[in-house]
Amino acid sequence: MRYIPLLLFTSILFPNDQIPGTEQKRPILLRGGTLHTVSGDVLEEYDLLFAEGRIITIDEQIQPSPETDIYEIYGKHVVPGFVAGYTRIGLTEISAVKQTNDHSEIGDINPNVRANVAYNPDSDLIPVTRSNGVLVVNSAPSSGRVPGQSSVMKLDGWTWEDATLKHPAALNINWPYMYIDYEKNRKKNDKAQRDEYDHQVREIDQLVRNVRAYHHRKSAKERKAEHKQETDLRLESMIPFVIYKDPIHVKANDIRQIEAAVKWADEQDLNIVIVGGRDSWINPKILVENNVPVILLGVQVTPRRRFEPIHIPYKLPALLHEAGVHFCISLDPGYPMDGHVRTLPDEAMRAVSWGLSKDHALRSITLSAAEILGVDDKIGSLEPGKDATFFIAESEPLTQTTNPIKAFIQGRELDLSDRQKDLWEKYKEKYRRLGRLNE
Amino acid sequence: MQKFPFLFILISVIIAQTEPVEDIHTNDPRVWALTHAMIHTEPGDSIKDATLVVRDGKIEKVGRYIKVPLDAYELDMEGAHIYAGFIDGWLEVKKDEKTKSPDDHWNEKIRADYRAKDDLKIKKKDLKALHSIGITAAHVVPEKGIFKGKSDLVVLNDEMISVAKDVTELIEFKTTGWSDNGYPNSLLGVIAVIRQTLLDADWYQRSLELIKKYPEENEPLPLNPSLMELADFKSNRRPFLFMTKEEHAALRSLKISEEFNLRPWLLGSGYEYRRLDKIKEHNPFIIFPLEFPNKPKVGDPYIALQFSNEQLKHWDMAPDNIKRVFDAGIRFGLTSGTLKNKLDFRKNLQKIIDRGISQDVTLAALTTYPAEAMGLDQVLGKIQPGFMANLVVTDGNYFDPRSRVTSIWLAGKEKYITERHKTVLAGKWDIEIQNNTYELELTVPSIYKKDKNRNQIALANNQLEGKVSIGDEFLNLMDLKIYGNRIEFKVKGTLLDIDATLAFKGEIKKDKIIGTIYDGSKDYAFKAKRTVVVERIARDKEMMSESKLFLPEGAYGLDKELLTPNAVLIDNATIWTCGPKGIVEEWDILFVNGKIDKVAPDISVPMGSALVIDGTDKYVTPGLIDCHSHSAASSINEGAQAVTAEVRIRDVLFADDVNIYRQLGGGLTTANVLHGSANPIGGQNAVIKLRWGSEPEDLLFKNAPQGIKFALGENVKQANWQGNGRYPQTRMGVEQVIRDAFRAAQDYRHRHKTYDRNSKAQKKTVPPRIDLELEALAEILEGKRLLHCHSYRQDEIWMLTRIAEDFGFKIATFQHVLEGYKVAERLAEHGAGASTFSDWWQYKYEVIDAIPYNGTLMAKNNVLVSFNSDDAELARRMNTEAMKAVKYGGLSEEEALHFVTINPAKQLKIDKWVGSLEEGKDADFVIWDGAPLSIYSKVLETWIDGTRYWSVDENVQLEERDKLEREELIQKILSHRSSSSGKAMRPNSATPRHFHNCELNDLELMGLEDFE
Repeated sequence: MRYIPLLLFTSILFPNDQIPGTEQKRPILLRGGTLHTVSGDVLEEYDLLFAEGRIITIDEQIQPSPETDIYEIYGKHVVPGFVAGYTRIGLTEISAVKQTNDHSEIGDINPNVRANVAYNPDSDLIPVTRSNGVLVVNSAPSSGRVPGQSSVMKLDGWTWEDATLKHPAALNINWPYMYIDYEKNRKKNDKAQRDEYDHQVREIDQLVRNVRAYHHRKSAKERKAEHKQETDLRLESMIPFVIYKDPIHVKANDIRQIEAAVKWADEQDLNIVIVGGRDSWINPKILVENNVPVILLGVQVTPRRRFEPIHIPYKLPALLHEAGVHFCISLDPGYPMDGHVRTLPDEAMRAVSWGLSKDHALRSITLSAAEILGVDDKIGSLEPGKDATFFIAESEPLTQTTNPIKAFIQGRELDLSDRQKDLWEKYKEKYRRLGRLNE
Repeated sequence: MQKFPFLFILISVIIAQTEPVEDIHTNDPRVWALTHAMIHTEPGDSIKDATLVVRDGKIEKVGRYIKVPLDAYELDMEGAHIYAGFIDGWLEVKKDEKTKSPDDHWNEKIRADYRAKDDLKIKKKDLKALHSIGITAAHVVPEKGIFKGKSDLVVLNDEMISVAKDVTELIEFKTTGWSDNGYPNSLLGVIAVIRQTLLDADWYQRSLELIKKYPEENEPLPLNPSLMELADFKSNRRPFLFMTKEEHAALRSLKISEEFNLRPWLLGSGYEYRRLDKIKEHNPFIIFPLEFPNKPKVGDPYIALQFSNEQLKHWDMAPDNIKRVFDAGIRFGLTSGTLKNKLDFRKNLQKIIDRGISQDVTLAALTTYPAEAMGLDQVLGKIQPGFMANLVVTDGNYFDPRSRVTSIWLAGKEKYITERHKTVLAGKWDIEIQNNTYELELTVPSIYKKDKNRNQIALANNQLEGKVSIGDEFLNLMDLKIYGNRIEFKVKGTLLDIDATLAFKGEIKKDKIIGTIYDGSKDYAFKAKRTVVVERIARDKEMMSESKLFLPEGAYGLDKELLTPNAVLIDNATIWTCGPKGIVEEWDILFVNGKIDKVAPDISVPMGSALVIDGTDKYVTPGLIDCHSHSAASSINEGAQAVTAEVRIRDVLFADDVNIYRQLGGGLTTANVLHGSANPIGGQNAVIKLRWGSEPEDLLFKNAPQGIKFALGENVKQANWQGNGRYPQTRMGVEQVIRDAFRAAQDYRHRHKTYDRNSKAQKKTVPPRIDLELEALAEILEGKRLLHCHSYRQDEIWMLTRIAEDFGFKIATFQHVLEGYKVAERLAEHGAGASTFSDWWQYKYEVIDAIPYNGTLMAKNNVLVSFNSDDAELARRMNTEAMKAVKYGGLSEEEALHFVTINPAKQLKIDKWVGSLEEGKDADFVIWDGAPLSIYSKVLETWIDGTRYWSVDENVQLEERDKLEREELIQKILSHRSSSSGKAMRPNSATPRHFHNCELNDLELMGLEDFE
């Protein structure tokens, strides 16, 4: 047994680029911490033992084996890593600089493109994001009608393959615009605008039908060599989602879009998740009845319409919870929000302030997100058998000033420094030298 | 009284004498006596069975017992009504072809010397449509530009003679948008151009006088016809006619008129009722387009969501607008100019009369009001001896839509419109054919039956369908056509024992029709006699709207006085003073007459002398201050030039922005509304208090020093989008632009000072021009204008402090200043404040080194730091933004609160009045239900100047009120039957995003939120 002094906790291991964590070699026992299991109760002064990247035991008192490292963390909190349900992490570096953007392929129909292959594991956004406890993100492509496949990424790893937790996480669809727009489309009357919408939906339907036909012909038993279906990457890539009903993430904010997407999925017998969902409070019933979860993009936003209650976006998570909608909270990516994923806990806290319980708020950025992304067998809660993906903080997770002091992804300890902390240190040194600062 | 150049003097003489004869001489007899008519001599006055004598284009005599002159030809007008010819207030000349001249103003949007009438061409069809509603003269106006040009009052006869020229000079707040490289491309710039040009006009006039007097002493000035015209209009008190599209444009127009002592006219928007109190102070003459919005399409509940409450209400309220404006004492004219179908003009007249305007006033708006306003009250608008013989002849009261305009007279010449006598044919007739009698029934088509108004019009105009009955059976009439006094139709079936189609053709004479039937081979005669006349059914009268008005109109607008007690005492609260007293628990605070009276452990006041609020478990802080906002402004960026110090946010304040209300709900009371960052030297900012429900100018924080926005880096060098190639494109160029501007300002001041000191020069030489741009820049150098500079990188921050020091002034704040932490010692030494984001980064290259520790690190280096929003959403949670200074870098919560209270107050030099709870300061405060920086605390009440602008309870009440109102309005629209033919309503419920506005342009700001 080796007791690790707490002193090491706050030290920054490397003053430069953050180096990925090393594989967990020895079992680690966290002794006496407050465990926010999320799946169950908050357990005070409990022990948590993890080895080989997995949580082994959670108990009041665990007898460690001799090779175990022990951290005494009385009064500190252990929290499952936050999970951001919809981001561009790894796919962008500087939003305004085109050269650094890899989230928007040209063309409308790109079901075959895969987010994780373009994920840059050395992006500066990664350490900054995990500094606030966000340890897993869904990185999603974003433009066109079918932007591509998103991937659930661990915010640690030497390569994108290391970092991939699940791929594909989902096929993404941006639901066609249904707002009858008299400004931008002033030359088109209502009917023309609706016709255009119908046409766009028909295109999606045709795509789905073509996938079915493609799959049918490919899997037909008897066929002549000359009847062989030749390859179509687009259609082929959609087979898991159309034939095997893997989740499809449909971006829809307007209530018309939400309802249309839900009905479409029902008719087509597909599994969808609504991404965005800002109008979902208008008709949450349809989501409950059809068992459609929602990845909410943003709680701290202004209402969409002047006459809405001014705090409706803040209350939205509580309203969805009351209605029985399965949801998680994420942020709306895009300029200038791409780098703002680290504020995920703030969004959950705001929801608490407006009616959601703290437990559910924490769940909405951990286990619920993991469930919706289909990775709840590995992450999202502190349970034996799950990945040791969590962080340790001095204060409760949903506290504004909480800063993780230690974090693990699958048992690998993370370097919690980042570019911003480095710059902070660098310039503190400057002012020390100038005699202006003595900390 | 203004002076108009009159053109109307004995038309006949002028025309007869100047025009060469093409073939042989034409000399129409030009003396007519119209007898036995109902003559409406002027609004409110009419003579029955009267005679009117017209001679040589003018009215010679009018009255009951007039002897018809011997040389006059008498026209018996029995049954006719005669009105003075109507004046259309707005006839826009499209496609003007102003020839370009080297003398034109440098800015092609300024074309004040252009006379619209020069390009007046009216299509015959359009002219006929105007005539058919009784329009005899029109105010002909130009179409393009900001100073658009001059108007004429033109008689719509063949010669298009002008009765008056240079009636008004037209101004439009014409913004072409970001894509236009020409200055100005924003509302901000347009107003600045208007102000500068009006100043230039005065200067030009004065200069010309001096040059004329002392040619040797002065360099000649280039000719500038635009400025000459403007000076002429100003000094002769001729009206400036501002085109307005909404009520804020009216307020802006009137403000400019007040500043430059102009006589204002408005082309009304129909929204005047929303801000009438303010508009009536200036008593402008308003020309109203007689058009009302269509019913919003609320049948689909989700499309209904796209309509804002104020839009729904506007549908209900628009036809009341004119009545409300008139009741406020404002005179007005009318125009059919925007109507596609001119027949709607009379329908809409009916609408405003229904809504309470009298027929006399309506007639006046078509005749005497515009004539008076144009100084033509002895020429047009009445039927009186000496007036021009412009007349409208109808077969009944003009304001009854069933009556018809039968002819009009233009300068003494009659123009036929339709036959004077028309029989209403609807009803039952007996047709006699070869001794057989059948019943013919003519009725209004069933499609019009639902709409009583439409029904009446169809009835009057014989738009009918019909059938012939034979016993119990009937045959429908086919191809029924009624022209003048002729009727035609076909009947297919067995009539006359012939099984064939018979074509009827007849002539109508009062209650009889005589005609023939043709079956292809033979003719038969027929006669018809009326048996039943259709009674006219009563029309559905519209009622005035019962909706209550709010200020501002729309959701959360106020409908009653805000709570403003003389004194407020908060008892036993935790008070975060942000002043020397720090945080005090279980203390009292007393506010009297809008000021902080006392902060003490225990304050007692006589019973009933103050509103007492129990502060137990509550927290009180100063009202929060946002040092960087773009809310409450209609225009943010004038980006067409690198230097636009002349533009002012105060000109475009938008008090209807619901974000004001939302931000009050987050405890914000003061905001620094800044120009955008499109150019190195942007516009002048406006510090406002969030006085929801006030007039735009009352938002201003009166004591706040003036300021200006500068910007550095990527935006001003247009690095992140396809710019227009404007100088500068590098940070090097940015520095030179700024230095150059300051040098120019120094030269400018020097020029003025030298002139002001030289009394001899003042008498004889042309004075230096007042330049609003250089004026603002000079004020910076003189320390009279605070400089707020958008900045990111340390190099540019350092650079600007050096420029300021070279020119001997101090930068008030660096905004954003995300690399401020790298040069904190420079900021501290220079004494500039830093107004930064809490934790924004990553969005562009120049923020690559942004760190959330920025605020704390600068603060620890004795820099005065604030956190700002630059975003409508962030602005309503400034307290939790401040908490990030605790999270990142470990400031105390008390210090962090200073980032959004006293520190920004100091940065804006308004800390004498706001920013902390200290005796003598303004009563701007927030009551919270928990610790002020906690995300789990909520605002209970927000007060400004001792008035409660927001409270939890009121908010709930307003929400409920608006929900109910919305439901009622939608119900009213759904149940409203009459078809409307007005302007389609474009839904606009979405509120603008105001999202990191610095990075956005005007177009995006005005546009809808992304509803993808």
